[in-house]
Amino acid sequence: MSWRARDPQAILPRGLNAVAICAIAAFALAPVLFMVLMSVTPDAEVAGGRLWPSHLALDNYVQMWSTVPLMSGLANSIAAALTAAVIATAFAVGAAYCLTRFSFVGRRPYLASLVTLQSVPHVMLLLPLFMVFSSAGTYLGLPLVGTRTALVITYLTFALPLATWVMVTYLRKIPESLEEAGLIDGLSRFGTLWRIVVPLSWPGMVVVLVFSFLIGWNDVVFASVLTHPDTRTAAVQLQVFGLSLEGGALPLYGQLMGASVVCSVPVVALYLVFQRYLVSGLTAGGVKG
Amino acid sequence: MGFLDLDQYSLRDWVHAPWSGLANFVEAVTSSSMPHSLWLSVSFALLTTVFAAPIGIVAALTVNGRMRGRGIVRSLYLVPYVIPQFVTGSLWRVLLHPDGATNHLLHALGINANNHWLIGPVSFWTLVAVDVWASWAFIYLMTLAGLQTISSELYEAADVDGVSWWQKIRYVVLPQLRGPLSLALLLSTLHHFNNFTLPFVLFGSPAPEAVNVLPINIYQTSFQVFRFGLGAAMSVIALVILAVPAVIYLRSVRLDARPQEAEA
Repeated sequence: MSWRARDPQAILPRGLNAVAICAIAAFALAPVLFMVLMSVTPDAEVAGGRLWPSHLALDNYVQMWSTVPLMSGLANSIAAALTAAVIATAFAVGAAYCLTRFSFVGRRPYLASLVTLQSVPHVMLLLPLFMVFSSAGTYLGLPLVGTRTALVITYLTFALPLATWVMVTYLRKIPESLEEAGLIDGLSRFGTLWRIVVPLSWPGMVVVLVFSFLIGWNDVVFASVLTHPDTRTAAVQLQVFGLSLEGGALPLYGQLMGASVVCSVPVVALYLVFQRYLVSGLTAGGVKG
Repeated sequence: MGFLDLDQYSLRDWVHAPWSGLANFVEAVTSSSMPHSLWLSVSFALLTTVFAAPIGIVAALTVNGRMRGRGIVRSLYLVPYVIPQFVTGSLWRVLLHPDGATNHLLHALGINANNHWLIGPVSFWTLVAVDVWASWAFIYLMTLAGLQTISSELYEAADVDGVSWWQKIRYVVLPQLRGPLSLALLLSTLHHFNNFTLPFVLFGSPAPEAVNVLPINIYQTSFQVFRFGLGAAMSVIALVILAVPAVIYLRSVRLDARPQEAEA
């Protein structure tokens, strides 16, 4: 019996396991490989449904920058998402520290609200947020609709509760005895936070930073309502580009796929680099990135 | 907001918008497309979870044991899940358009289905299929995390008893996984229910009748027909309905790990 020597955690028989891995990997990857393949196929051939390109059309990757203002879209996406992510992470560490180290009135409702907010659909906050932003324009003279600031504020509404909750689950695992030692040695509360908790919790902070960044990067609904053409994020540009191809005379599907690849690469790279931390954060927080 | 008669003219000055009482709510329930959308959303969320669950569970089982290349396989499994949903939508829009690769592939396999996948009643199933593809890895991740808490001794004991791999899954794995798996299914259903990006990008707007799920409906009512009050009323109703699974989720999360207090 050869499988006696196997890791007892391997449950399926060896042959079946191999077949299942191949089947699932093919199911998962075939469309992605198609995307990459179509991105180097001439536009007309993609539109004709040709499965294999007659020649490599690498100029899709050159032309798309002028077909769609992709560069400004990517810049807008990075600016809005990264700003929101940095702010969310900074506040989340502080908030989570208080939530795990002190007890105060309203702590449990606060924790409960962090979790509940994860199940509120984003579309339902679109209207109220839109109202607030347009009122700020009417009553306070602050033109917010269409600016990156509005996007940052919007992403923070979702990133903050998520970030705080993931940080709470993370900080719980750090033993308090370390901080007590710090306090005895004369550190202030802020000193323990800065010199003991922050250095110990950086993997958690990476998770929170990446998740918060992805909220902004992946968002379509808010950006489609709250931006002007020149503050559009890459997500909205791609969506509008995809729609415009329907009516257009020349369907630029190859370039659309090229732009799609460009929008996915940063995210996939982030995941692969930080995979170990992200997966633990994902399952601990029970959240979708 | 649900109580106000708001359109694109009164929105800018909403403090002075006419008060309309429950009219928006009555309209949402009786004469709008909301009940239909709600039904679509619920069935979409449940069906997607039901189809995604077996794939996710099997995938988790395949990479639980140590073997060569396990890290690579685990990463590959995650790719469809981590690709942004707006890219998933664009990709499948191209793959599924009438002259696209899917139909050509089916044709090559001898299935002559020159289908319009993105319009008409079939679009509902298109949405289910694409969302299953994009999100099964969530169940996979949660299952894998659950599997790793099962100790090897349980499997070794089962081996001593000479059980088959199927019995091992049936009597060791599944009972141990009940907790994490039900949480995964609940969360997955919630995510699908709330998914706006995928139907929005995949079908464009206005969406076909068959995929007019609740988030899409609210968006269109508010920002294309400019019935902000009606849209807000729909949102409120949907929130009340969502409170049920949200409370279940809340109770299953260990809100407070501090020993001196009771657990949630």
